[in-house]
Amino acid sequence: MSGEERRVSGEERRASGEERRASASLEDRLAAFLAARLGADAVRVLAFERSTEGFSQETFRFDVEVACGKQRETKSYVAKREPVAGLLEPYDLEPEFRVLHALSQDPLPSPPTPFFERDPAVLDRPFYVMECLPGEVPVPAPKPDGSGPLDDAERKALAPQVASALARLHAIDWKAAGLGFLGAPGPGRGAAEREVERWAARIRAAALPTPPVLAEAVLWLRENLPACDEITLVHGDFRIGNWLIERAGERSRLTGLLDWEMVHLGDPLEDLAWCSCLLWRASGPNAGCLVPPDELAALYAVASGRTVDAARVAFYEVLALVKMSAIMLTGIRAFRDGRTTDLRMAIFDHQIGFLMAGLAMMRGHFAAIGG
Amino acid sequence: MLIPPEALIDGCMRTLLEAVLPDVGSRFARGQLYAVADVLQNLRDRIEPKRAPLEEEARSAGEALARVAAVLGEAGRADLAAAVRDAAAAAPEAPPAERAEALERAVVEAFAQISALPAERAEPARRALAAHLAQQALREVALLKASLLTEISKG
Repeated sequence: MSGEERRVSGEERRASGEERRASASLEDRLAAFLAARLGADAVRVLAFERSTEGFSQETFRFDVEVACGKQRETKSYVAKREPVAGLLEPYDLEPEFRVLHALSQDPLPSPPTPFFERDPAVLDRPFYVMECLPGEVPVPAPKPDGSGPLDDAERKALAPQVASALARLHAIDWKAAGLGFLGAPGPGRGAAEREVERWAARIRAAALPTPPVLAEAVLWLRENLPACDEITLVHGDFRIGNWLIERAGERSRLTGLLDWEMVHLGDPLEDLAWCSCLLWRASGPNAGCLVPPDELAALYAVASGRTVDAARVAFYEVLALVKMSAIMLTGIRAFRDGRTTDLRMAIFDHQIGFLMAGLAMMRGHFAAIGG
Repeated sequence: MLIPPEALIDGCMRTLLEAVLPDVGSRFARGQLYAVADVLQNLRDRIEPKRAPLEEEARSAGEALARVAAVLGEAGRADLAAAVRDAAAAAPEAPPAERAEALERAVVEAFAQISALPAERAEPARRALAAHLAQQALREVALLKASLLTEISKG
């Protein structure tokens, strides 16, 4: 497809000349790639735009007009591309693609993900393409009046759906689905130990001074590894901000689970703790901005048939903040080294102060000053 | 410098939010963006971190380490007490950032040292370190401004 044939979106018209040239090139190559994969006579990529959501991989939304004979059809897609540098480097999109591809027929609302490509001739770096699901992604931040991102009717409607989706995710027979390549941790404390060491290694790799609150938390985690008798698929980033939602009051629906780049095999309560932890409460009391943590745990227990061990959840909530610290330190390192121009990596340099305060609170340090 | 760094940075913020953001595609806004870049590149070699917060952090860490050394000494672990004192004494007097960083490293090491004690003997030392961590967390948060993360995410 030539550049002249390409339709230019309003956003692009406002973009600088340099950005326009770069995105035009990406669009043309993407159209050629999709034409071959879809077996179409002609493909046009429309309304191509880089998304501002997602701090790690590069996300592009676009429409595809497919022509087969006299028939024309338009469908919306999302492409996820490896960044040059970022929060979860070094990147490898293939495991995430293989999981999403394997789940494409599952009732779980994960986006159908048909294509993965490593060849740099297509989009410069590896990427995969998934279908665009309906809905919006509420940002886990308070509104100006201090209330959470979801209203009462939405929270009431969505909490059981979120708990059920998490239970469904953990019920997937990962061996039968061919996901054993993710690597099962050892029995007993193996799952917890592997996660602690995974994130401790990332903290070391950032090679920045480790905040003492963080170092103490890692020591505590290593001394308090919980045992787990069941290994499941773990999303790794299951939380508000990665939930696609159709907002319609009490008829609101969870329509998609996004951002699977931290997917692995491990303790299912890791996901429950991550989505319940301080990070995703938007300064309010509710786990995932939905319901109080105990209530979400109860909903999950009913949906999954599991007993929710509060001590294990507490362990993984501390791990959640350690994990986020490791992610931020990785981003700070990438920015400090000049390997990324994404200024969002630099804001972590001050955001990490909030995180350390949260970690100090969770570890009980404020009790030492009467707090 | 006739304009203090704080005023320059406040001015850049105002320009970005009030002049550039509402009309980000215009030639005037592009010119203002270049002006912000020009201010920043000339600010680069004229500023350094403020001393007072770093000196306060170092003082707090130093006091916590002295308490840990005392507890270890009282517990009959003169060897560990000496290690903590030596680590604190090895921190450079200046610059303030390097002194604070060295003392914080000694705090991390002190957590490992006190794990050699029975829990009840270690408790006063652990409490001293925890108090330092809590107070330091509060000092850090007190310097932070309201986050623009929502706006950054929405674009």
